[in-house]
Amino acid sequence: MTQVAHGIVGRSDLPIPEWLFGWAAAVVLVVSFVALAVLWPEPKLARARERALPALSRVVLSRPVELVGGAVGVFLLGLVLYAGFEGTETVTANFTPTFVYVAFWLGLVAVSILFGDVYRAVNPWRAIGRAVAWVARTAARTEMPAPMAYPERLGHWPAAAGIFLFATLELVVSNGDAPRTVAIAALVYSTVQFIGMALYGVEEWSERGDGFAVYFSLFARISPWTVKEGTVRLRPPLAGLVELEPRAGTVGLLAVMIGTVTFDGAAESALWTGIAPDLADAFQTVGLSPVRALELTFLIGLAATCGIVYGFYMLGVRGAQSVGGGFSADQLARAFVGSLVPIAFAYVAAHYMTLLLYQGQAIFILDWPPFGYLSSNPLGTADTDIFGTAGQAIDYGVISATAAWYWMVGFVVVGHVAALTVAHEKALTIYSDVKLAVRSQYWMLAVMVGFTSLALWLLSQANQ
Amino acid sequence: MSKAGRLTLVALAVVVVVAAFLIARPGDDEDGGERAATTGTPGQTDAPEETGGDAAPPPTATAPSAPDPPPDGPPATVIELTGNAVAEVVDVEVAKGDRVRLIVRSDAPDEIHVHGYDLSRDVGPGSPARFSFVADIEGIFEIESHEAEHQGQDALIARLVVEPS
Repeated sequence: MTQVAHGIVGRSDLPIPEWLFGWAAAVVLVVSFVALAVLWPEPKLARARERALPALSRVVLSRPVELVGGAVGVFLLGLVLYAGFEGTETVTANFTPTFVYVAFWLGLVAVSILFGDVYRAVNPWRAIGRAVAWVARTAARTEMPAPMAYPERLGHWPAAAGIFLFATLELVVSNGDAPRTVAIAALVYSTVQFIGMALYGVEEWSERGDGFAVYFSLFARISPWTVKEGTVRLRPPLAGLVELEPRAGTVGLLAVMIGTVTFDGAAESALWTGIAPDLADAFQTVGLSPVRALELTFLIGLAATCGIVYGFYMLGVRGAQSVGGGFSADQLARAFVGSLVPIAFAYVAAHYMTLLLYQGQAIFILDWPPFGYLSSNPLGTADTDIFGTAGQAIDYGVISATAAWYWMVGFVVVGHVAALTVAHEKALTIYSDVKLAVRSQYWMLAVMVGFTSLALWLLSQANQ
Repeated sequence: MSKAGRLTLVALAVVVVVAAFLIARPGDDEDGGERAATTGTPGQTDAPEETGGDAAPPPTATAPSAPDPPPDGPPATVIELTGNAVAEVVDVEVAKGDRVRLIVRSDAPDEIHVHGYDLSRDVGPGSPARFSFVADIEGIFEIESHEAEHQGQDALIARLVVEPS
């Protein structure tokens, strides 16, 4: 069967052994019951104190840092477009596909978890939007309010659509990793961002409609860093998820975030490789070309997986609703959506960790100069070697397959515990009665065990 | 429950889990058997060979083996290409540190590429491509036909599966 995308991957993960799968599943159950035993009766994260860091704020939030951050983002966007259109068509030798799918898409998740919403400072579209707004304001000598208020009903839906389409490009489109295709997609995405910012205002759009900005900012809420009222603050990890104020479409966005990774994993399983050819054959008989038939098959698989994730979460929410308290299903779904963020992180970390560790070396290495071979020769046309590192190869010795297994399973288990913590904290803040709060958590626990078991199963099915 | 009681409970659970994990984890001595039992593809595992010499278990393959294996190692896996494609994609399974021997025969000119190890050999009618290298990177690596890739066809001809030794 034709391989869909993933042309940049040189090495794939071995499936985790059965004994490790069994052990991880057992640990998840033990942890879950321990969690039930120690459920604390008073919210802790929600009432945790934040520590302001004025000295750090003066540096990190200063105007020069803001300008440099924006310039770096715009430069990299420019390089992605330039290398994509002008560089070699060989996927593995061009800067653009590996930078977008590995350094940007996966690397910034790791950065967000560790250092907070760094992406906001380097977001090229926000930077350009702010620069344009500043020029317009200066020229007009007056404030320029956005022409329209952002509609409440739109919420995070544009972001959910953006992430879904990006996943479609990565996992469905047959030449979705071709440098030119990625560059065209970047142009299309840029256009949509500029229209959104022009209509609704730069910050309003970035916080709601810009898929990548919203995606990374959600993961940044796991980190202890936050910026409020112009100062950098430290707080307990996960506290940002308890105070997350969901909008319309936030649950949909999380379903897309978890569903797309699930599908990427499941597409390697015997289950999918058994179904997909039959579906593709059926589409061919109604007149689609083999490539289009396979793309349609994968698109259906991707959408269906997101739908299943959404449905499973809503099932748990219905259960939690049944314990009483007078909440609507929609209210509860939004209240607990923060607990899905650590799950989404566990999925991304478990599934893509080795890809980032290995393929990421093409862009960035832990050496001096810290640039991988693609950064040194972004066009892949061999007449440039900017940093003298173009001849380097990927070091596959940075982590053994066995160590990678333990890390992957570790991420899944830690994500599970984090999700339980956030859900329980949220329950304590919304239910007036502690007993109801705890009973609602039996249902959320079932949801988390479901998602976590699925994550482990995907690891055991990898590349079968 | 008191705070100390809760913490004790958590600590106990952690201790039990860690201890059980260490006891039940398959040791290095039975690693070969474990590998065959847990990750072998149905119909491809060859138990007697796996439990045989620990130095170099031969690669398991569904492709026909070469009639004359070199005297100093396991038999080579032979992959036959017809029109830059294989009838069936096989897994060449080895343990880390083993020597991988591949012979690719083709009725059309082609270039064969082993990903990850980044090895390329030309192949043509009457001149098979021969690979012989030590599998020192764990993981799954695609073996591809460049000609099929250039034609926009399915380029995958085999997978090299290197398990931890």
